[in-house]
Amino acid sequence: MSPIESLVTVMHKLIKILRRFEEKIGFCAALFIFAGLYMGLIASPPDYYQGEVVRIMYVHVPFAKCALLAYTTLFLGSLFYLWKKDPVVDNLCHAAAGVGVFFTLVALVTGSIWAKPTWNTWWTWDPRLVSFAILLLILIGYVMLRALIDDPRKEATYAAVLAIIGFIDLPIVYFSVEWWRTLHQPMSISVRGISISPEIRTPLILMSIGMSLLFIYMLAIRTQMLYLRHLLEAKQGGLLSEPERRLRDDLS
Amino acid sequence: MVSLLGYQISHTYRYHKVLKDVSLTLNPGDCYVLFGPNGAGKTTLMKILATLLKPTSGTIEIMGKDTQQSREEARRYLFFIGHGTFLYDDLTVTENIEFTMGLRGETPSFSMIRDVLDRVGIGPFALQKSRYLSAGMQRRLALAKALLANPNLLLLDEPYVSLDEKGMEMMNDCIREFLKKGTAVLMSSHDRAKAAEVASHAGILHNKTLREIPVKELGYALF
Amino acid sequence: MPYFNIIKWIVWKDLLSEMRSRENISSLFFFAFNVILIFSFSFSMDRDMTLALMPGLIWVAFGFTSVLGLGKSFLSETSNDCLSYLRIAPVPKGAIYLGKLIGNLCLMLMVELILVPLFIVFFNLDILDKLLPLLFVMTAATVGLCALGTLFSALTVQIRAREVMFPLLLFPLAAPVFISAVESTQGVLSGDPFSFYRHWIELLMIFDLVLTIASFWMFEFILDD
Repeated sequence: MSPIESLVTVMHKLIKILRRFEEKIGFCAALFIFAGLYMGLIASPPDYYQGEVVRIMYVHVPFAKCALLAYTTLFLGSLFYLWKKDPVVDNLCHAAAGVGVFFTLVALVTGSIWAKPTWNTWWTWDPRLVSFAILLLILIGYVMLRALIDDPRKEATYAAVLAIIGFIDLPIVYFSVEWWRTLHQPMSISVRGISISPEIRTPLILMSIGMSLLFIYMLAIRTQMLYLRHLLEAKQGGLLSEPERRLRDDLS
Repeated sequence: MVSLLGYQISHTYRYHKVLKDVSLTLNPGDCYVLFGPNGAGKTTLMKILATLLKPTSGTIEIMGKDTQQSREEARRYLFFIGHGTFLYDDLTVTENIEFTMGLRGETPSFSMIRDVLDRVGIGPFALQKSRYLSAGMQRRLALAKALLANPNLLLLDEPYVSLDEKGMEMMNDCIREFLKKGTAVLMSSHDRAKAAEVASHAGILHNKTLREIPVKELGYALF
Repeated sequence: MPYFNIIKWIVWKDLLSEMRSRENISSLFFFAFNVILIFSFSFSMDRDMTLALMPGLIWVAFGFTSVLGLGKSFLSETSNDCLSYLRIAPVPKGAIYLGKLIGNLCLMLMVELILVPLFIVFFNLDILDKLLPLLFVMTAATVGLCALGTLFSALTVQIRAREVMFPLLLFPLAAPVFISAVESTQGVLSGDPFSFYRHWIELLMIFDLVLTIASFWMFEFILDD
């Protein structure tokens, strides 16, 4: 078996494992998130500078991390798709983009709510904010693009191209906004540099783990949903290719 | 060497099977005519063989070059005349030919272009914008390009469409000339009588599969 | 060199068609002219405000114009199914991308060159001595816009709702171009020394380089799949 084939098999195995453990992953995600929320919202002390407001960080930061995780998944999946043209990976990318829109949107909204009391504005041209707004636009463009192409093969390829170009573009967006702002006005408050005490760190880590598990859970469910739809349409069209038939048997 | 080898080509479009295990072989000098009712997948098969579409499964070799592994090399050997005319409206007839040939890495002289244009009967229009050509004249222009390109495999999708009686005659003459030079010609057509004049093989595309039939049966009702 | 020849043929074809019909260049020019008119209606400006707003106005006008122009780039290939010929022509697809890119670049730069005097006249700008650096900034930014625009034009002509999708895909990704173009134009117009806005030019060039290479690499998947 060639290394490429074994890699495809690994991907399929991974999806099978995800399917087998998805309930457990979902359960763990809930556990971590509840523990993190309890520690973050009730057990931990308010911040010295920001007061009670800081507690939104326990939601905002994990969401933002997961949004980046989603886009990284999308990027790697797209590269893999262009290389191997594996329909399962394409479904994974599609799912990652859909879930990514959700995480990016929540990260943006919570960030904006957090910015109001701390920076005294809903929106500021902070590089992270702008990068996330652009990321959201790219992801929405990605999802829209997929809905506008009839041929499934073309759809997958074009979407992958868009994801890759966007991922390459994103660091440049970040730097351009960072330079742009730092030259005009110093950034008002930076979380970086302030050492984080354990009372804050523990719930943050718990929430991050919980959110990542939630992301994986949602990704697994959505990938399966898209793949089942693919199978259903293929069945209605009266056809399944040999690897698809094998995978269907594996899944059921 | 076999000019065209299609092996078990299957194609699906939007989850619907269009072609199922179509295989065909063309040797140099063969003229294969493809028949079939509307929507049988003739154009799809032509596009797949012209490397415009990738088949869902199956392999195609043109002059021994696999169209998946060595695409550009395989493309060097083929010329495709499809429903689209591939013409740029604002370029003259001559410039259009120069561009098409240029992308194939050839630079025919002006007299060569004049000769083939005379040959297909549109010599007087050589310096006109291709926008002003009628549909039949555009067909003739496509044929002129094929004559210049001199490919090993010529794919003609409905070559007789929009040609007049004389044009069809000329098309058949050119096809015969190609066959004599050892070019393999594959065409799809609805005009059985005209196609029968040049065909050496024939097949019907029906129910997604290709069935080969004797050429002498072309005179009878097929489907 | 065959690779170079193919680029040459594509550029030749695009520019010759354009010269014959003048379809794009004239419509783009009049579109941008309209944009400039609307600007001069909407803002009644004194000198200081003009200088402060000018870089933004220039790039809003250029941005809209390039979306209009670049979106059409591959539309001309669809009219007689020419795209199919480009697809099955025995040439490396990257050469087609570079050819189209150069053709688009020539067209957009020509339109921008015509627009600069209009800006000078309508907004009473005194920038004759700053023209050279301004042209340099314009070129650097237009390369980036065209690199992305050529790729997405090839992508969107093959889908539904192409007119809407093209700007939706292009604008977010071109954000760095607009930021650094506006900033360096600001620097040029206010007469700052080059070192003040050098990093913006560098950013533009990095963007040009990275996005041209990435698009060049991705183009094959767009055209030939």
